[in-house]
Amino acid sequence: MSRDLPILKVDQIHELEHAVVDGVDISGHWNRMFSDRSTTALPTEAMDWITSLDGGESMRDCYQCGKCVPVCPVQHVGDYGPRKLNAKVVRGNDLIDDPDLWLCTTCGNCYRVCPKEVNPLRIMPAIREQAVLQGKVPDELSDVFRNLQKSGNPMGESPRKRIDWIAEAGVDVPIISQIGRPVDVLWYVSDYTSYHPRGKDAARAMARVMTALGIDFAILGPEERSDGDSARLAGESGLFELLAEQNIKAFQKYEFKQLVVMDPHAFNAFKNQYPRLGWEGEVLHYTQFLAPFVDKIEFQSSVDLDVTYHDPCYLGRNNGEYDAPRKLLEAIPGVRLAEMPHTKANGYCCGGGGGGMWLDGFVAEHVSERLSERRVREAVATVGMDGSGVLSVACPYEPSRFEDAVKSTGNDGRLVVRDIIELIDQAMQPPAA
Amino acid sequence: MPDSILVIGGGPAGLEAARAIASIGGKAILVERRDVLGGTPDESNYAALTPRMGSAQDALDVLRAGVVDPAIDVRVSTTLTASSGSLGDFAVTLSGPAGETTEHVGSIIVATGFQHFDPGRETQMYGYYEHADVITLPDAEKMLKEHHFVRPSNGEIPRNVAFIQCVGSRDRRLGNEYCSKVCCGVASKEAIEIRRMLPDTKVYIFYIDMRMYGFWENEIYWPAQEEHNVTYIRGIVTEIVGKDGRLLMKGEDTTMGRPLEVLMDVIVLSVGMEPSRGTRDVAGILGIDQNKYGFIALPGEPMDVVSTSVPGIFVAGAAAGPKDLEDTVGMAGAAAAHAVGAIRGSLRAGAGVG
Repeated sequence: MSRDLPILKVDQIHELEHAVVDGVDISGHWNRMFSDRSTTALPTEAMDWITSLDGGESMRDCYQCGKCVPVCPVQHVGDYGPRKLNAKVVRGNDLIDDPDLWLCTTCGNCYRVCPKEVNPLRIMPAIREQAVLQGKVPDELSDVFRNLQKSGNPMGESPRKRIDWIAEAGVDVPIISQIGRPVDVLWYVSDYTSYHPRGKDAARAMARVMTALGIDFAILGPEERSDGDSARLAGESGLFELLAEQNIKAFQKYEFKQLVVMDPHAFNAFKNQYPRLGWEGEVLHYTQFLAPFVDKIEFQSSVDLDVTYHDPCYLGRNNGEYDAPRKLLEAIPGVRLAEMPHTKANGYCCGGGGGGMWLDGFVAEHVSERLSERRVREAVATVGMDGSGVLSVACPYEPSRFEDAVKSTGNDGRLVVRDIIELIDQAMQPPAA
Repeated sequence: MPDSILVIGGGPAGLEAARAIASIGGKAILVERRDVLGGTPDESNYAALTPRMGSAQDALDVLRAGVVDPAIDVRVSTTLTASSGSLGDFAVTLSGPAGETTEHVGSIIVATGFQHFDPGRETQMYGYYEHADVITLPDAEKMLKEHHFVRPSNGEIPRNVAFIQCVGSRDRRLGNEYCSKVCCGVASKEAIEIRRMLPDTKVYIFYIDMRMYGFWENEIYWPAQEEHNVTYIRGIVTEIVGKDGRLLMKGEDTTMGRPLEVLMDVIVLSVGMEPSRGTRDVAGILGIDQNKYGFIALPGEPMDVVSTSVPGIFVAGAAAGPKDLEDTVGMAGAAAAHAVGAIRGSLRAGAGVG
C-alpha cells in the first residue's frame, strides 16, 4: 500500500527575508529560517557608485582588518561597525536605505587607527548628500535642515532672539554692528550657547570672564548664523554653503583680529572649511583663547570638585587640541582633575556629531543605549558617586546631552555637567556666604 | 684594475655573498659594523629558524665557516665612511680598529639588512613601552633561545599568549605600506615553540590575512594549527589596556562580526621590517637610489633583483626589502655572480641604468 506523500522540491523552496503569517509578522534577523541564506549575486555597482562620489573614494580601500570596530563608539551599543559598512557595500548595498548611513557621528576614531586611511568623515557626508537629494532623510533631521534654512539655527528660532541671553549676563555685551569700531575679538557665540536654555549659561559665563579680563570683544548678534558644519556632515552641503556665505558676509563686514568660538564644530568649520569658501583668518576655540590668560584670571574662591574632562571630537581628535582645556581646568582653584579611560585621541563620542544631535529618536531605534549615556557611566565611575563629581565639557552640544544622560542612567545627584567656562566663572565669584 | 669586491655587512646576505665570490675565484673584503659576524639573526638572539626549526646559531656557523678563506679579507668593527670612483675602480674608505684605510675595489655588494619595526611608532595603543608583558617577536626569540618563556613582569609562566600580526607593516598611516613577508611564519614558529615548551599555555594568533606562501603553508601554518593546537583568530587588535595585572586586548573577531575583549598574560607584537640604519647610511655614502620606504631600489626588477641604480654596485638580502633567509642567501649568490662578472667586464647590458 502506498500513500501520497508531499514531494519536497528543494530547488523550489522560496526563502523569505520577511514573512507575515495570519497577520503576524514573523520575520526578523533572529529567525534564520526566513532570511535569504545564500548570497546569489555580488553586484559591484554600489561600490563603483560610492567611490565615484567626491569624498567616497576611500570606501574601497578597506582590507577588513577590523581595527576600527573596537574604537567605534557606536559599535559598543549596536551592530554597526565601520568595517561592516565596507562589507555591506562590497555585497551590493549602497547604504542609501540602510539605517547605518545615519549612525556614524563622524567622530573620527576609526580613521585615527585605520592602516588604510579609510575616511568616514568624507565618505558619510558624500553618501548622505545623495540620500538628501533623493529625499531619504529621517524626518527629525529634515525638520532641522528646514529650521537652519529658514532661520539660521537648528531650533527654528528667530535670529533676533539670538541675543536674548545677554539680558541676564550681568555685563555689557557689545554687538559689533552697533559699536561702529574695530575690536580685538569677534566672539562667535554659536547656536546652542545662544538659544538653548542650558547652553546660555556658558554664554553668560564667557561674557563675564572676558569682561573681567578686560578683553575688547563684540558679537555678531542677530547677524550670526549657524556655522553649518554638522549639517554638512549630515549630508546637507548646499545648506552648509548657504550658511557659510551668510557668516562670511558678516565676518567681512567688520574689522577684528581674532575670531573666538564656543563650539568645536564651528571651530572646525571656520578653520578647515571656510577657507575654501573665501574666508580665512585666525580662529580659536575659547579654551585656546583663554589658556594664555590663566595667570591673569583673578580667582576668588575654590570650587572643591573632582572633575573629569570630555574631549569634544572636533576639538580633540579631529583638530588636535587636548592641552588648552586641561590647562584651564588645572588653573581653577579646587579642581582635582581625573582622566576617564577613554581620553584625548581615544575620547568617547557624546553622539552629537555629524548630525547625531538631531537624530536621537532615529538612532535610539538601532542602538541599545545612547552614546552620551555610556559616556556618563564612564564619568560616574571616574569622579561620580558622592555628588562632588563634575563632567566638564567644552562643546555647547554637551551640557544638555549629558544632563539628560545623567538622569536617564539614574545618576542624578551623583554627577553634574559643567562647561569649563562655567567652572572658571564660578571660581571668579566670591565664595558663597 | 682592482680585483677585489667590497661586501658591506656580515649577516647572512654578506656572508653568503663573500663565500660565493671566493667559490668562483673572486676576492672579497667583507666589512661588518659589529665585532662579530652573523648580523641580525645573531644580534637579535634568534632561536630557531623558520620553517625547519633548526638552531639559528648552527646555521650561522655554517655561513661563518664559509668566509674562512684566504680570498676573503674579513674586517669586523669596521664601517664604510666614504666612496668615490665608479665601476671597475671604486676608492672606498673603511674605518676600523686600526683607523681609516682606503681600498680600491672593482665592485660593491651592499648587504646591510633591516631593523625590526619600533613598536613605539605604531598608531594603535599596544603600549609596548608601557606594559612589560607586551613584547616583540625578537623579544620572544630571546626568551625562547634561553628556554625560559615567562611573563617579563613577574617571571611567571603565562596562561594565555597572543600574537598580533602586521604591527608596523601594511600600514599607510605609518608609511610602511608593504608586507614584511616573514612575520606570519615567524609568529607561527614561535607559537609552536611556546606550545612545545609550555603545554598548558594557550597560544592565539590574531591576523588580518595569514601570508604563508609556498611551503611555509604546510611546513609551519598547518602543523601549528593541526599538531600544536595554536588558535588562529581573524581580526586584529586595536587596543591593549592593563587590567588586574593582566592585559586586556580589545579587537574585533571579524569572522563572527563581534567585538572581542580577552585577557592575555603575554602579547607578542609581530613587528615587521624597516631598512636598517646601516642601509640608509650606506645608500647615502654610495649614492644609490632608495625606494620610498628607504630600502635599496632595484631598477631592473623583476628580472634583475641585485643591480642598484649605480653600475657596479649590487645589493643582497633585506637591504632591498623584506626577505626570508631562503631568499636572502639566494639573492646573495646572484649578487656575487653579478659583482664578479662586472669586474671581468661582462656587466649585463642595461643593468643599473633603470
